[in-house]
Amino acid sequence: MITVALAKGALLKDSVSRFAKAGFDFSAVLEPSNRQLMVPSACGRANALLVRNGDVPVYVAYGQAQLGVVGFDVLSEHQMPVANLVDLCFGECHMAVAVKKTSSYKSAADLPAHCRVASKFTNCARRFFEELDLPVEMVHLTGSVELGPLTGMAEAIVDLVATGRTLRENGLIEIDHLFHSTARLIGNPLALRLDTGDIRLIVDAIKSQERKGSF
Amino acid sequence: MTIKNVSGTKDLNPQQVEENNYLLSKLSEVYRQWGYQEVSPPKVENINTLTAGGGIKSNEIIKIVVDEPLGLRPEMTASIARAAATRFALKERPLRLWACGTIFKSREESDGKIIVDENLHSGVELIGEEGMEIEVELLYLLIESLKKLNIQKESNPTLLISHTSLIRIILEKYNQVIKTKIKTILTNYDLIGLDKLDIDNDDKQGLKATLELRGSPSTVIETLRGIYGDNNVLKSLDNLFNIIKPISKVYNINIQLDPTYQPHYNLYTGIVFQLIANTGKSPVVIARGGRYDDLVNLFGNNNKAAIGAGFSFSIDKIKKIARKKNNNDTFAKKTLIAYGPNKKIEDALEHQRRLHKENQIALIELNICRTKEMAAKLLPKRGCTNLIWIN
Repeated sequence: MITVALAKGALLKDSVSRFAKAGFDFSAVLEPSNRQLMVPSACGRANALLVRNGDVPVYVAYGQAQLGVVGFDVLSEHQMPVANLVDLCFGECHMAVAVKKTSSYKSAADLPAHCRVASKFTNCARRFFEELDLPVEMVHLTGSVELGPLTGMAEAIVDLVATGRTLRENGLIEIDHLFHSTARLIGNPLALRLDTGDIRLIVDAIKSQERKGSF
Repeated sequence: MTIKNVSGTKDLNPQQVEENNYLLSKLSEVYRQWGYQEVSPPKVENINTLTAGGGIKSNEIIKIVVDEPLGLRPEMTASIARAAATRFALKERPLRLWACGTIFKSREESDGKIIVDENLHSGVELIGEEGMEIEVELLYLLIESLKKLNIQKESNPTLLISHTSLIRIILEKYNQVIKTKIKTILTNYDLIGLDKLDIDNDDKQGLKATLELRGSPSTVIETLRGIYGDNNVLKSLDNLFNIIKPISKVYNINIQLDPTYQPHYNLYTGIVFQLIANTGKSPVVIARGGRYDDLVNLFGNNNKAAIGAGFSFSIDKIKKIARKKNNNDTFAKKTLIAYGPNKKIEDALEHQRRLHKENQIALIELNICRTKEMAAKLLPKRGCTNLIWIN
């Protein structure tokens, strides 16, 4: 029995659609009335675990799920020992540094040393500023990161940007780009090395959709 | 405020200690039968020893703040290899040594918190003899030890084997810069990284096929021969698998050759392996090992090339798949000696001494029991099966 960890939220619908094309119908998880967190596929050969975004690589790394779908941003932040299998090309966004529109900073390198930077993605942000050789004080927030510069708590934020609307509506402007992110199919490395063909079939089926551009 | 134990460390209760000791004793029984002698390497070592010449990352070691750079051992091989290359340097080879004890690692949890990871390990090191025989003995001993542990049948153990030279052969044609990148991609099973590699498309397809190449040793060796030609590594692997195949069949252990598997620690310079069992929910690695000639030479101060190989069982992981001990074993006959108002504790101690002489477990009820019935009620509370009430 294959177990797949799927992230609740924005990636769920597309994730379900990719697995449906590979022969595993998890559409039950999309039912508004569904409250189950472990949902069997219609064929009964696999289970889907409905978990939070950040928990997908955890379930896969610990081997409780052989496969999972999660954004590259989450993988980059958590750096769990998982195998990167297929770039699913949906859930596009990018990680960016943003400041108040009225500020004079034009790029991350312009920020003053030891300034405060607020983020949900403190590991990604820390690595970025270390590469810039700019010492900053990281402030970890769990949401509404845009408030950091608005309240004066932080000079800048590092956050995911999809359309840029939230930044604009909160008077913030993007000044640097960390990386581009899309949804990824990931796998447990040990399960992949012990696989007798079942996991490989799913990975190949999902990958072949990518080649055909059938999504 | 309650003082809590450090997160990740093991604070075991009596039953857990008993389970650990049971498994350790089963393993040591086999090691002794094979002529291995017990050593007890230090838990605290110099950082240079612990990092094993760069094979183990410094950030995985728990450091101790003293005048010298010291740390807690993350494994026991480096300490034993050092002893073999220094104070045991003049001892007759092969040296057959075994050790058990706790190891400590610094580990980052998924929420970013750094914790101390304490684990109980038991393993052997075989140092000295040239040739493939060292690996044959080691794998035989590993399989025999596993059998002795009496693990659940449905755990379907798999011995996943590779050789550090296989990845070298696969990467031979590439330049040094891209070689390191490809090695990381193959050992991390990174298909996306492989797709993005800036190399010839045929090479990419070839590497993808190599990444998916694993399974029956004879088939994998034949495929590798077809791609890279015959060589000494493939010949010796072929020999090794022919020797261990019969015993693995007897004990129902699936053997799988996986050319792109490389262990987490960069200590090894030859055969590398991990023993994997199924817990029903997920696969777990219950033992790891390999050949580490360079490590022994790192600590040696003579010109004679040294050879070493070993493996280590994780007791905590084995507990997940070991058959539960029979309760009759765990709670062997235990006698409670209680005394009434007309006797003293000295009388009870005298009874206890006699039972101990007969190798029986006997404990004394420290409070006076006025009647035999009162004493009998205490039996389940004290975990005893028999009662002696004196008055």
